[in-house]
Amino acid sequence: MKSQILEKFERAATQPLAAARAWKDANHKKVVGSFPMNFPGELAHAAGTLPLILQEAEDQITVGHGLLYPFYCGYTRSVVDQAAKGDFEFLDAIMFGDHCVQLLGAADAVRMQLPNKRVAFYQLISSMCDPWTHGRARESFVGLKKELEELVGAAIDNETLGTSIQLFNKNRQLIRELYEMRRTGCAGLTAREMQHIVKSSMVMDKAEHTALVEQLLATIKANPPAKPSGVRLHLSGHFCQPPKVEVLDMIESCGVTIVGDDLYHGFRYISTDVREDGDPLDALAEWYMARNTGVPCPTRVQNDVDWDGYLLDAVKKEKAQGMIVLMAKYCEPHMYYYPEVKAAFERNDVPHLLIETEHESMAIEGLKTRVETFVEIVKRREAA
Amino acid sequence: MNTTVQETKKANKLAATKPGGKLVNEYWEMVFRAKEEGKLVCWYEGSAINPFFQAADVVWVHGEAYSAMLAARHLEGPAQKAAEERGYLKELCSYARTHLGCAVSNQRQQNEPDSGYVNMADDKNLATRLPAPDFIVSAYAYCSTGQQWDEMTTRLFGKKIPIFNVSLPWIWGAKPDAGYLRGQEWEETSQYVAKQLRDMVKFIEQQTKRQFDWDRLRELMGHVKRASELRLEGMELCTARPAPATFFDWIAAIAPINNLPIGPHLVDFFQGMKDEIALRVAKGEGAIPNEKYRLYFDGIMNWNKVGWLAEKFAKYDAAVMCGRYTHFAFWQEPGLIDLKDPILGMAQNYLICPNNHSAPILIDETMKLCKKYDVDGMVIHASRTCRAFTNPQYMIAEAATKRLGIPTTMFEGDVTDESFYKDELLNSRVEAMLEAIDAKRMGGGSPSMVSDMSFLNRQAAESAPVTFHRG
Repeated sequence: MKSQILEKFERAATQPLAAARAWKDANHKKVVGSFPMNFPGELAHAAGTLPLILQEAEDQITVGHGLLYPFYCGYTRSVVDQAAKGDFEFLDAIMFGDHCVQLLGAADAVRMQLPNKRVAFYQLISSMCDPWTHGRARESFVGLKKELEELVGAAIDNETLGTSIQLFNKNRQLIRELYEMRRTGCAGLTAREMQHIVKSSMVMDKAEHTALVEQLLATIKANPPAKPSGVRLHLSGHFCQPPKVEVLDMIESCGVTIVGDDLYHGFRYISTDVREDGDPLDALAEWYMARNTGVPCPTRVQNDVDWDGYLLDAVKKEKAQGMIVLMAKYCEPHMYYYPEVKAAFERNDVPHLLIETEHESMAIEGLKTRVETFVEIVKRREAA
Repeated sequence: MNTTVQETKKANKLAATKPGGKLVNEYWEMVFRAKEEGKLVCWYEGSAINPFFQAADVVWVHGEAYSAMLAARHLEGPAQKAAEERGYLKELCSYARTHLGCAVSNQRQQNEPDSGYVNMADDKNLATRLPAPDFIVSAYAYCSTGQQWDEMTTRLFGKKIPIFNVSLPWIWGAKPDAGYLRGQEWEETSQYVAKQLRDMVKFIEQQTKRQFDWDRLRELMGHVKRASELRLEGMELCTARPAPATFFDWIAAIAPINNLPIGPHLVDFFQGMKDEIALRVAKGEGAIPNEKYRLYFDGIMNWNKVGWLAEKFAKYDAAVMCGRYTHFAFWQEPGLIDLKDPILGMAQNYLICPNNHSAPILIDETMKLCKKYDVDGMVIHASRTCRAFTNPQYMIAEAATKRLGIPTTMFEGDVTDESFYKDELLNSRVEAMLEAIDAKRMGGGSPSMVSDMSFLNRQAAESAPVTFHRG
């Protein structure tokens, strides 16, 4: 039963466009692709569409090389490559609001490739503690709602939006329960499986996904796994795109148990619920702000929250013995913030290891040697 | 084609830009003295908000300008090394990396005087001379790097420095009425930024504990407006053949219009440039000895290589006429500035930073500029760590080929990190492009993208401009 559920998650996570196309064919409704990381899928769901967070593909980049330089992050290059290859033709619209310079370049290139596609931009304010942040975020979501209403030709009423919010909250809560079980050693799920669960939530029909997570939880509770015994580590980083599962497998193969993460294809995505009472657009604007307070993100600027402090707290709460930072190559926000994290971990004598990841193939054996060495260091420190 | 590099072919640079070097030196000396003179210091990047600081009697430090100055003098090493020691990776914006390195150096000097490379005895280590900020204003168009750079600066100073963020939205231009300086999106965005600038003035008042001098701002903007008009009039004269001044002369004039102290001398500087250009036009004197090709330069400047590149293109008989960096930025629309109430016009000038309009608008404006200067080809600087400039370059290259029938070529470099510059690639690629131009003139060649751009292999719309879905 557990493996069957996990297979469904894996299928959607590894073939997101095929999954969305199948949904469209079965439901005869529209599919709205979005860029990560702050798209309020609830709005698109309330409009009767399938919100699909566009994913980095596994394919080697070919045609996309003629649109963006190689010194861009794998996510932006891959998205542009997919657009150029026609993979997004079945989408009814693409919407995005996050402000990262590479993402803006990708958006322009995607629009150029798909001149007949509705490509909408609702710029989210990235300065998070200004007096006007909430108002501006709400305005952006009002604009997005209008775009969606134009797309489907119908108004989105508050009651329907409220129902979507409840469904999305439930989905997040259930996945957070899995995270809590992982922390306490009761989940029995690998890092690869955890990624599939979260990533498929970005792709699948939310009700279907939620039902599957409920079943999975019940199955795990009915058959508690043995407690893991590896070195307990926290995984940090990787925003728009997930780390390659081969990297996750490699880390675990070095005697590591991942007990927590703040990956976007992980806890970051499901960290924060939307308030279910009152004006739903107000609630979404609050959610946008609360996400950055809950799990700070280096793509936002907010002087009164610290990602490095959050990570130290997370490591402590998870009883992790160290942290591996996975940095997608050329990810500027991460490159800006990393020295703060490095300094904080060094100050607090918490071991951490930085690994730069690439869209193209990585020398896994070389990385493995580094992780094995890191694990030895962690063990020796514990023993000392 | 005769592209043999001859040593005698020197760029005939404008004499009028020479005082710019003195103005730059005087300005940075003023910055270095700021603390002794009891002045508040504000660090900022991106938009030219310096008139606000000058009006408030605050000393301003423009991060890019400092990094560019260090690179132009080949003194960027210690700052970049300090940043590396802190953990900033090489692929990060080198403007930011250099400036953050100055912040690291400053803090180490205060807190850890015996640590790190940055405290090596070195009289030329200007990284340590930059005075620490008393406050920071972040007002960066288009590039997300700006806000993150400023945020990290506050953190390097222990989050003790007050910061004010001005958010400058990108002009996406998807609505039917969208275009350069027009449409609902443009109007609404302009008002949104103007409101934030007024709030920024309140923030400055809180820092200085003085009422802001609006009359002084209006006076300063009067000088800026006139200087900008003269600059544009000078550029207009450069459509002449032979070109009386090149892109590199305008590069040499960026600091005065972008970040140096404002006053009547600024107007005099650009009046001098315009007069010299007019004189050259009258005499038929060119900015290079033997103008054979006219080129457009897309991309930001490679500050380690300004003179180097100016001489290189002169030797190729190629007049680099204009570029995105010089001709789409720096108070580029003085007509928008109402001197009675300059805020809205200032906001709009900040919004037309050369990258802040999405590709369709930017490409249309680029094509107009190429036509105006009657260019034969396009040189594209793929600046490794400045993705704000590299974002639309493949699309611009394609449009140049398809709409104008001109060849393009690309070379690799960077804003302030010299290690990314590849001289041999530039030589071979530029020579290939010039040969393509020659072939076209003889009727035997067709325009194409040469070098790395030749593998553009996608199903793009054949005819331009492309029409987009209008939401």
